[in-house]
Amino acid sequence: MTKVKICGLKEEQHVQAASRADAIGFVFAPSKRQVTIEQAAELAKHVPIDAEKIGVFVNATLKEIEETVAGVPLTMVQLHGDESDELVRAIRVPVIQAFSIRTKEDVVKLKQSLADYVLVDAPGTDYRGGSGNVFDWSLLEGADIDPARLIVAGGLNPGNVHAAIEQTTPYMVDVSSGVETDNRKDTVKIQEFIKSVKGDFVEETMEKVGFFGKYGGQFVPETLMKAVKELEDAYNEVKEDPEFHKEYHHYLSEYVGREQPLTYAQRMTEAYGGPKIYLKREDLNHTGAHKVNNAIGQALLAMRMGKRKIVAETGAGQHGVATATICALFDLDCVIFMGEEDIKRQQLNVFRMKLLGARVESVTKGSATLKDAVNEALRYWVANVEDTHYLIGSALGPHPFPTMVRDFQSVIGEETKRQILAKEGRLPDAILACIGGGSNAIGMFYPFIQDKEVELIGVEAAGQGVDTAKHAATLTKGTDGVLHGALMKLLQDDAGQVQEAHSISAGLDYPGIGPEHAHLADTGRVEYRSITDDEALAAVISMSRLEGIIPALESAHAIAEAEKQAKQMTADQILVICVSGRGDKDMATYAEKLEGLA
Amino acid sequence: MNRLEQLKSSGKKAFVAYVMAGDGGLDRLKEQVQYLQSAGVTAIEIGIPFSDPVADGPTIEAAGNRALNQGVTLQKVLEELQSWTFDIKIPLLVMTYLNPVLRFGVERFTTECKKAGISGVIIPDLPYEHKQLVHPYLDKENIKLIQLVTLTTTDIRLDEILREAEGFVYAVTIKGITGSRDELSHDVKTFMQKIRKKSPVPVYAGFGISKSSHVDMLRDDVDGFIVGSAIVEAFNAGKIEEIEPLIRAVTTA
Ligand SMILES: Cc1ncc(COP(=O)(O)O)c(C=O)c1O
Repeated sequence: MTKVKICGLKEEQHVQAASRADAIGFVFAPSKRQVTIEQAAELAKHVPIDAEKIGVFVNATLKEIEETVAGVPLTMVQLHGDESDELVRAIRVPVIQAFSIRTKEDVVKLKQSLADYVLVDAPGTDYRGGSGNVFDWSLLEGADIDPARLIVAGGLNPGNVHAAIEQTTPYMVDVSSGVETDNRKDTVKIQEFIKSVKGDFVEETMEKVGFFGKYGGQFVPETLMKAVKELEDAYNEVKEDPEFHKEYHHYLSEYVGREQPLTYAQRMTEAYGGPKIYLKREDLNHTGAHKVNNAIGQALLAMRMGKRKIVAETGAGQHGVATATICALFDLDCVIFMGEEDIKRQQLNVFRMKLLGARVESVTKGSATLKDAVNEALRYWVANVEDTHYLIGSALGPHPFPTMVRDFQSVIGEETKRQILAKEGRLPDAILACIGGGSNAIGMFYPFIQDKEVELIGVEAAGQGVDTAKHAATLTKGTDGVLHGALMKLLQDDAGQVQEAHSISAGLDYPGIGPEHAHLADTGRVEYRSITDDEALAAVISMSRLEGIIPALESAHAIAEAEKQAKQMTADQILVICVSGRGDKDMATYAEKLEGLA
Repeated sequence: MNRLEQLKSSGKKAFVAYVMAGDGGLDRLKEQVQYLQSAGVTAIEIGIPFSDPVADGPTIEAAGNRALNQGVTLQKVLEELQSWTFDIKIPLLVMTYLNPVLRFGVERFTTECKKAGISGVIIPDLPYEHKQLVHPYLDKENIKLIQLVTLTTTDIRLDEILREAEGFVYAVTIKGITGSRDELSHDVKTFMQKIRKKSPVPVYAGFGISKSSHVDMLRDDVDGFIVGSAIVEAFNAGKIEEIEPLIRAVTTA
């Protein structure tokens, strides 16, 4: 997708209005938009972590440029004067060289530039650095300029930028006067411009590779970069391949038993006394939870990549069981890392994995739970990267994992949408899902994100309470940080050490949350709440007795919150709960915690 | 001049020693650095403990946990370094995962490193693609951001990384995490030769180097060696003098 640069910003409010832009330009050359290094440095603090900060210069010296790059700091330099090739070469950050286009000869000059990117602009009039005139786009036609290095500027505005992109398919579009009113930047016009290039924020989320807002990325050791990039390429390929989708859906229906019902929960509806309640029955999947949707998708992809060894982490053991199951089905080698603490809590699942032929490695380090299992799985992947695929179990990790896992889990939301339209003729008013790393929730929410009338609610584990030291409420209590390959929200101390999470439910016991959820929380599209251990246990009892469905402890968090949510809703409304898994694996915990239940 | 550049121009084979700051207490760091300097190492990497060190093997992870249990933080380590008054002649580097740096603040980190006399920074989970997060700040203070290359780095990325390499290149000798190994694989030699031919800066081999036989095997193909787990282990066992033959094997041949 074409990137957007908003240029000539001088005020913080305008930088914030441009938060969805891919690049921000600061003008250091004489102009009404000129800023000092100090001013730009202040403004730069409000630019998202991954956006380019570009300085615009006209015939400045290398020293001036270097000082400015370091002082702001800038990530790119844009040259608008008669700068020499030597200067272009000497600048250490990527360089954009601008050319005013009047004739075909100008186009030839542009093609010879040594800069990383070339910017085409209408000829300046009163000062260098763009005049706001529109130039004749057709001059570029047949000029054979690599669109990957082309930036188009000059007279663009929210109204004409689409046409410019269609005609020139540039790497980036650059706007300055087109988003101004009376010579001053205009917040509304900036947002309109970005929207007319990118669509609304959902589409941007899909397009911006590896990032969701400022979250995501590929923060992994160098040894893994090749594997991560290969995976990214392979995934991009299968995403568009109808054969792959056919195969994936074949296994979902013939092996997992999809599609799963959207069950009307009549007695819960009556008991809660509010909206009509529907349950999305991921508990009915073969292996007992939503995790298998993702395991099949990734295993098929691994085989396409020629990898027949799988490593995975597991918390509750549901992902481990799903992975071990699929590895048995496809005859793949399978190693599962699981925290010692979780092994104790989920002994049945450990035995299931072994029965299925997987090797289960106990992780005794750290808190001996999911976070540490991910660490060990990553280390194992580092050491065996050439023939092994890391089949991550939630919407976590370096890009492309969060996107890929979301896509493989989106079958949950897609089915739900179809089913509710068939049953009720309309979309639900609220949807709830529990959140560990965030995979069942993002799979459920994603197909509804653009349907603004549907309230989306993610439910984290509050453990013994969010104000105690024992919880896993990452979005309620966490801060920005990098763990397991992505910038996300983390439970961490002031020194940046990741803290242990606590939840009665092993599957929610993770101190981070997937990057897409972190972004959805920032934008406010999804609301995140939390439920304590005790509330979740109470919900296990009530759902079991009202509907004859014993939920997994993880899912019980969503159910508990649904009861609260239902109280604020009315009988003509509809509420959907994602029942991410069944309670078989938790029976030992239930027996212990609910002992004496009458 | 950055001390790493001085080291390069001396033409000597480098011996870079890794220590985990605060393993055994932060007050031990000073004597460890003094000891290593007098034992003839040519640069020292100061490791910052992290809760989730995915690039490290059991030895360094355990050392990090010992340090964390003593309450060691990035800030405390930098303050400790800044308090030193003895003469440090060799380059000091900081090796830290990204998250403590982000939490501390990249700009503040850079300023404090500068005050502490740090010549270079190694961040194993900050790949080349994301180095803009940190590099412009370090560059401002003439602190080098050391990049790693590994046996799995593709040729295209290798060229890109080497084109912008500064200080030295950290060439990882194994497919795996840090930790002592008995033997290095044979692709390593050709890999080192390939990197050295292309690299504008010295190439140091690290991860798994713990024996003179490793040094002998790669001596002609690299500009220096980085030794971590073996030193951490020796300090922990109170037998650091056992590392001296390895230092000599590198620096005096
Ligand atoms: C039944 C069930 N639901 C939910 C989760 C939480 O994971 P996620 O947030 O990725 O859906 C788990 C994890 O193990 C699980 O087993």
